[in-house]
Amino acid sequence: MAGVKIKYTKTERARQKKILKVSMRMLPLFEAMEKSLMSTINTIAERIEEIRQVIEQNNQAARPWVAVMSDSKVDIKSFISVNKVITKHVDVAGVRVNQYDSVDFNVEPVQYDTPLWVDEAIDLMKEQLQLMAEIDCLQEQILLLEEELLDVRARIKLFENRRIPNAKTAIRKIGQKLQDDERLTIATAKVVKTSQKEGVMV
Amino acid sequence: MSNLVYLMSSLPSLSFGQVPPITMDEFTHDAKNQLSARHFKKLEAVDAYQMPDAGGKHALQRFSRLINKMQEDISEIRTARVHKRTPGLAHLPRTVITANPLEREKLIMRWQWEELDTIQAGEMFTLTDVMVYKLRLQILNRMNSFDAEKGSQVLASVVNPPKKKEE
Repeated sequence: MAGVKIKYTKTERARQKKILKVSMRMLPLFEAMEKSLMSTINTIAERIEEIRQVIEQNNQAARPWVAVMSDSKVDIKSFISVNKVITKHVDVAGVRVNQYDSVDFNVEPVQYDTPLWVDEAIDLMKEQLQLMAEIDCLQEQILLLEEELLDVRARIKLFENRRIPNAKTAIRKIGQKLQDDERLTIATAKVVKTSQKEGVMV
Repeated sequence: MSNLVYLMSSLPSLSFGQVPPITMDEFTHDAKNQLSARHFKKLEAVDAYQMPDAGGKHALQRFSRLINKMQEDISEIRTARVHKRTPGLAHLPRTVITANPLEREKLIMRWQWEELDTIQAGEMFTLTDVMVYKLRLQILNRMNSFDAEKGSQVLASVVNPPKKKEE
């Protein structure tokens, strides 16, 4: 409020009352939004953790045979690569984000002389790449939601620490000033009236 | 003949599962020095995993049949997977069906090794003997390339976060 010049008028008081009313109505909405965003972020973080566990389980399951991937006869890297990750736009807690849909792979077909393990390795790599792509999308979602959360928190702070207290202070000060003015007007009127009476008598 | 005897006598013996006692380059170098150009050319043509151009030669035909038998069964396993049925194997041991990919490759290599025993029988100090030695050295080299740490690195290098995105 410091530095802001208040107009001590009834119109200004009405305006400040309106600001207070709107702010009091908006604050719970922003608080609910904050809760929703926090809850969504937590849910996404849990999902990321779940996917990481699946990735680890897949790695554990492959551990007994992963040695075969260093086969001098086969360059497994030439068999599979990611062409693109397909995502779609969705609204999560009021924020537009990219949701993981699928992964488009470039897979070289196995030949009659390709060792059998290549089939299993391709399946495992596809699965892991899909899970990693989903994690990427979810992490991106968290970043966007956290940005929104920061914005919402800033608004809550603005309402709690500035707009609502400022409006309340302004209403109180304008009220006091208007009361003082009214009292002064009455007193002045009384003095004038008394002076006029005295003038008449003289 | 004497060169073949000398070459085979100078080469270290091979047993299944061991670390190769000689590199392929060393073997090739020795073979080139000891064999005639015609024999060396024939030796170069044989590969444990690629069908040789048999050309009517008895030994090469046997190698070709060996690879063919292996590929028939591998193909049957792949087809059975697609049709979700139990593969009917004609040559490879049935344990390859249930073994994990690493064990399966080792079982196939052991089968190849044993089949080479049959091809080698009665062929001591012949070019076939040298060819079998080369194929066995290839099998040992390949088996020796299986390494859990390197395999994990290969897997990790493929499973990288994808870059390109499209909506």
